[in-house]
Amino acid sequence: MELTIEAVIGNMHWFSRLPQDEQNQIKLHLFRQNFAFHYQSNPFYRAQCEAKGIQPESLVSFDNLRHIPLIPVRSFKQPNAHVLVSVPLNTIDLEIRSTGTGGIPSVARRDVLTTTRASIALTALYREFFGISNGAGLFLCPSTAETPEMGMVKVFNLFCGILDDRTYLVKDYSFHAEEAIEYLRQWENKQTRHIFGPPFLINRLLRYMELEEIHLKLDPTSYVITLGGWKRYNGENIGREAFDEKIQTYLGIRPENIRDMYGMIESNMLAIECEHHRKHVPPWCHVSIRDVSDFNIELPVRKTGAIAILDPLSNSYPSYILSEDVGEIEHDGECPCGRVGQVISFRRRLQGAELGCCAVSIEKFIETQEAIEECKLPTT
Amino acid sequence: MSFSPQIIEHFSNPQNVGELDNPDVTAFVGNPVCGDQIHLYAHIVDDQITKCTFLAYGCTASLATASILTSAICGLHLDAVALIDEAKVIELAGGFTPSQRHCATLGQDVLRSLVHNYRTGSNDGLSGSLQTCQ
Repeated sequence: MELTIEAVIGNMHWFSRLPQDEQNQIKLHLFRQNFAFHYQSNPFYRAQCEAKGIQPESLVSFDNLRHIPLIPVRSFKQPNAHVLVSVPLNTIDLEIRSTGTGGIPSVARRDVLTTTRASIALTALYREFFGISNGAGLFLCPSTAETPEMGMVKVFNLFCGILDDRTYLVKDYSFHAEEAIEYLRQWENKQTRHIFGPPFLINRLLRYMELEEIHLKLDPTSYVITLGGWKRYNGENIGREAFDEKIQTYLGIRPENIRDMYGMIESNMLAIECEHHRKHVPPWCHVSIRDVSDFNIELPVRKTGAIAILDPLSNSYPSYILSEDVGEIEHDGECPCGRVGQVISFRRRLQGAELGCCAVSIEKFIETQEAIEECKLPTT
Repeated sequence: MSFSPQIIEHFSNPQNVGELDNPDVTAFVGNPVCGDQIHLYAHIVDDQITKCTFLAYGCTASLATASILTSAICGLHLDAVALIDEAKVIELAGGFTPSQRHCATLGQDVLRSLVHNYRTGSNDGLSGSLQTCQ
């Protein structure tokens, strides 16, 4: 029987611990299947492949993956993005978007099969990295009801199915830290408390706790899980080290339970930190680092360049994305946590690229609302 | 999510795409949060739209709506354009699912903005209304 992507996702624990050669052979097989599908189904993509002289038969060895033509991530913002789609439009199940500082949204269209695979893959990743099966989630972001297509919120929302209780604390684009404290106190001794959100909002909570001198001790297995980047909309960086220290001081959470995640809406890849704070590329995905002066050149491990993500889960479009993020493969092999494969590190955005993510868009809007409130004339 | 045949057709084969040279009027609506944007450009003779083009960014339904509306209003008198409301946009688009419903508002607002801008001579291009996608 042929090994499918679904079988690999469903056996993530086993697959992520296979010897690297075996893992790469399976990945090559998955990419051959996925690439052949898009090559046959997508005339726009096939034209890119033909221009580069690549066809499904070209993928002979794992090393050949670097020849797969990449789609620049900004293509998802274009009005003619329909050319990216490899399936009939009536099979599109979900449109996920992200809006950065430029204001034009990037829209990724997922069909029924891709949505099913991605939902299972994310749940498998959450179970693998956090082992969460109960407890309460404090989500420092809007609800999916308020922002139904926002990628970051959708990714966080998948945690809800494995939690017993949850609340979303950004409502009508306002956030009140005191409400977060109330929930954390209310759940004490009743639920294991976890906090989810973009770093800038968790930072706001920590700043409030610092000012009000509030010290809590969450539970031994509590997690703080972040997604959305460490750069604020105004360009200011949030320092990871100071952030982790404050979480230990004000929330009493162990450093190994403070975990960041990295992903982008155009890909189904979500790299999650293990207890050693190494962001693991899901074992079915492949990250290739490209020379910023010539994207055709693949850089070796520990060399910094543009991040390209190859994701064999995607059926609706070829998810071989050349991002506008800069980083490196920090490690490729076995991690002390036992998982084998690529460990990715994000550094910054490419020069000239807009700050583009859901968190930036939420923060900008919250701050605008707050500025409007502050400037309101008093009514007499 | 499902799309009407009209949305599928206009998303896959958009009509009247691009900016118009020397437009008599332009209009814009956008949503600051979800980012859907529609820009319209029109030539008008004796209060009648002789040509209308668009640039749009966002979800499938909003891109298709922009294309559908430019086709629908070409040849119409401005009074008739001003009467196109959300219900009419929904009818022209062949129906929206709840998650696409915001496009009816976008469509109605951009047309009203077009008429208003022409009649007031306010070719602002970047004002328009702001609403939140639900």
